[in-house]
Amino acid sequence: MDLVKLFNAFPGAVSQGLVWGIMAIGVYLTYRILDVSDLTVDGSMATGGAVAAMMITGGADPWLAVLCAFLVGTLAGLVTGLFHTTMGIPAILSGILTQLALYSVNLRIMGGKANTAVNVSKYSVLVTSRNVRLLSADNPIVLLIVITAVLIVLLHLFFSTEYGCSLRATGANQNMARAQGINTKFGTVVGLMLANGIVAFSGAMLTQYQGFADVQMARGAIVIGLAAVIIGEVVFGKIFHSFWGRLICVSLGAIIYYLVMQIVLWLGLNTNDLKMLTALVVAVFLAVPYWKSQIKPKKRGA
Amino acid sequence: MLDINHIAKTFNPGTITEKIALRDVDLHLEEGDFVTVIGGNGAGKSTMLNAISGVFSVDAGSIIIDGHDVTSLPEHRRALYLGRVFQDPMTGTAATMTIEENMALAHRRGQKRSPFRWGISSSEKKLYRDELARLGLGLEDRMSARVGLLSGGQRQALTLLMATLKKPRLLLLDEHTAALDPKTAAKVLHLTRELIADNHLTALMVTHNMKDALQYGNRIVMMHEGKIIVDVDRQTKTSLRVDDLLQMFEHTSGAALDNDRMLLGT
Amino acid sequence: MKKILALILAVCLTIGCASTVLAEEKTYTVGILQLIQHVALDAATQGFRDALTEKLGDRVVFDEKNASGDSATCSILATDFVAAGVDLIMANATPALQACQAATVDIPILGTSVTDYATALDIDNFAGTTGMNVSGTSDLAPMQGQADMLHELFPDAKVVGMLYCSAEPNSVYQINLITEMLTGFGYECRNFPFADSNDIASVTQVACDECDVLYIPTDNTAASYTETIANVTIPAGKPVVAGEEGICSGCGVATLSISYYDLGYATGLMAYEVLENGVDISTMPVQTAPNAVKEYNAEMCATLGITVPDDYVAIQ
Repeated sequence: MDLVKLFNAFPGAVSQGLVWGIMAIGVYLTYRILDVSDLTVDGSMATGGAVAAMMITGGADPWLAVLCAFLVGTLAGLVTGLFHTTMGIPAILSGILTQLALYSVNLRIMGGKANTAVNVSKYSVLVTSRNVRLLSADNPIVLLIVITAVLIVLLHLFFSTEYGCSLRATGANQNMARAQGINTKFGTVVGLMLANGIVAFSGAMLTQYQGFADVQMARGAIVIGLAAVIIGEVVFGKIFHSFWGRLICVSLGAIIYYLVMQIVLWLGLNTNDLKMLTALVVAVFLAVPYWKSQIKPKKRGA
Repeated sequence: MLDINHIAKTFNPGTITEKIALRDVDLHLEEGDFVTVIGGNGAGKSTMLNAISGVFSVDAGSIIIDGHDVTSLPEHRRALYLGRVFQDPMTGTAATMTIEENMALAHRRGQKRSPFRWGISSSEKKLYRDELARLGLGLEDRMSARVGLLSGGQRQALTLLMATLKKPRLLLLDEHTAALDPKTAAKVLHLTRELIADNHLTALMVTHNMKDALQYGNRIVMMHEGKIIVDVDRQTKTSLRVDDLLQMFEHTSGAALDNDRMLLGT
Repeated sequence: MKKILALILAVCLTIGCASTVLAEEKTYTVGILQLIQHVALDAATQGFRDALTEKLGDRVVFDEKNASGDSATCSILATDFVAAGVDLIMANATPALQACQAATVDIPILGTSVTDYATALDIDNFAGTTGMNVSGTSDLAPMQGQADMLHELFPDAKVVGMLYCSAEPNSVYQINLITEMLTGFGYECRNFPFADSNDIASVTQVACDECDVLYIPTDNTAASYTETIANVTIPAGKPVVAGEEGICSGCGVATLSISYYDLGYATGLMAYEVLENGVDISTMPVQTAPNAVKEYNAEMCATLGITVPDDYVAIQ
């Protein structure tokens, strides 16, 4: 086996991990901060990709495109939030409904086509897999790290404000939050909007990186997002305790996810078995905290 | 101060699990009243407190706090008037947030929360440190520790402090010492009395302990099957003993008191 | 933590760039990126391998990767090929081609099972060549031939229903082409897109209720669920004209079909030209299927009482 081949492939895995890390930060906000399992993301990530693809091929500035992707993503979150809070539909089901509806919406956005190409040679894009091994500022890894860092700082600041704290309280303990006069329903909607905005933003980045948007591009995204959240917590949870530290964990978790995938591919795994491997990786990392909790009491007893 | 006018509540009406929880409850508190509420299991004590705080809306009647009709207000909007401490120590605080963050949340109870102001300022921290110090639990030195790391008693003491940090019009205590060991329970009760006295609060305390009901507060309300059956005023209360209360209950309700915990508490 | 990140980055980049992969003389590594496990795509890959192996023998090494239907995985596999420095990439299906094209401007890429290169790569004024490191073969079925066939078999039909998966860009493209041709014959065309396997049966039912004949283009999703479709169309007594052989043998009566094996084989010959004869890929025109055959599904025709002209070949 050729180690050089493996190392050659690492930049690709790292940049892919960074893109999905942004998505995973969105998942973290709902799954860990709001304590809601939001399945909207499978749809809203593709929505972000579709919006960005249509705008960029329509001649818009790529920064404007990703901003619009973010805004449209917040609308997806709003729909899920309203399903959940005003119609009393359980959160998981609300997300599934929106995800389903977004398939049609995404087709509409892309003018009825399932796939829109974003030709890197033709349009200016923020990131592309083409430059992944360049030793310059054009390397997508550079911009992705900057974007991730800025996003983490902004989120840290937001969740340190009065309103941000009330959102965290909403996720931590709804009863307590309401007793303190916090409108938990509204907070849940705001949280879902923010999270899906971020997820759509990452979809916009992924579309540019891979050169196309596809209605099926984010199928199963929630699994990768959760995997990143959990891997990050298991591997780096001991090092980072602060809010921003946790977000860094998530981003690193996504990178590890793709590095593991890369190593397994390099080891010669048949790509037909990739999905099973994904499931196994997630299952193992989910199991680690559980196993730890099972072992501890025995030690105390001894 | 508090006017509960003939409220009624039936859960799951028209189904097999239908439960009439409150029947024509009428209760009026004066400014500075400290009322203890006793009664058997399922008598409607906690339900009455939840009706006041808006956990559910009542079927009939009205609730007026300090002149404001809150009957149709959602739970989070009634928080402006109410400080609440719950039976389960886990309910009153956010476990994943720090002690100071919890206090900052409580300090802004009922206020609009802005995304342009910090959730906690350094000047506040000084105040919280002083407030925590009076608990005598050493929490003032652990302000940035997560609340989840605290014991049940510590969490309950903290919740109590949080409920009074911003002076409420009415303090609702729902068996807030029931989950604590006797020693801690006594400490928390002592603190309760101190905070109520210092802040001149109006309070409604549900308890399972008859002794406590007699020892604390200036008025006793006894509930049975969703109704208030006895209302003992300030004058009578001072001369009452636990046996008198039991007799009073059996006489009025025609039933033996079925609350095991309550008897144990005597 | 930034330090660790920077370290990872630095290590990846230095090692990645320092190692230039030197191909040994006249032995080629060819990466094959296939979108999903699927009969037609598998056949194209097989044809490609057979052609190159025939020409180059053991002087060609294949690195075959399958994205299992996940378009995002295509991107990883594509950057892998670029990182490994393969001599040529064969991209089987549209998202595979797009991911490869985004990943490299240097390594020659040959597509196959891609219907419309102009849309897939977003090329304006496409005239056969892409002008970049991409060429390949198009699986565009002979649409005019198929429209003629439908007219030949069902001259009296009035309404033709278009059944296809909305998630497949190539299907929409084919539908638009054939609708224009069929309208020319005086048919009324109605579209019946379905999203996934869950709504195939009900969408097909509506199509059967409203139309006299159904047309299914070359559509991967439809190809996977021909049984489901047949279970609706046979009781309804509605014939299906299919865009390719696989769908026809499952639920159609007739097709003017191309062979994906031949298509892959033709792509393999193009690869040989690029690798061994140094032909500039940017000037190689995109090829279409070498030959189309009029085929019919004997069992289905008997069931529905349809007789086909003598020049049709029964699908085995």
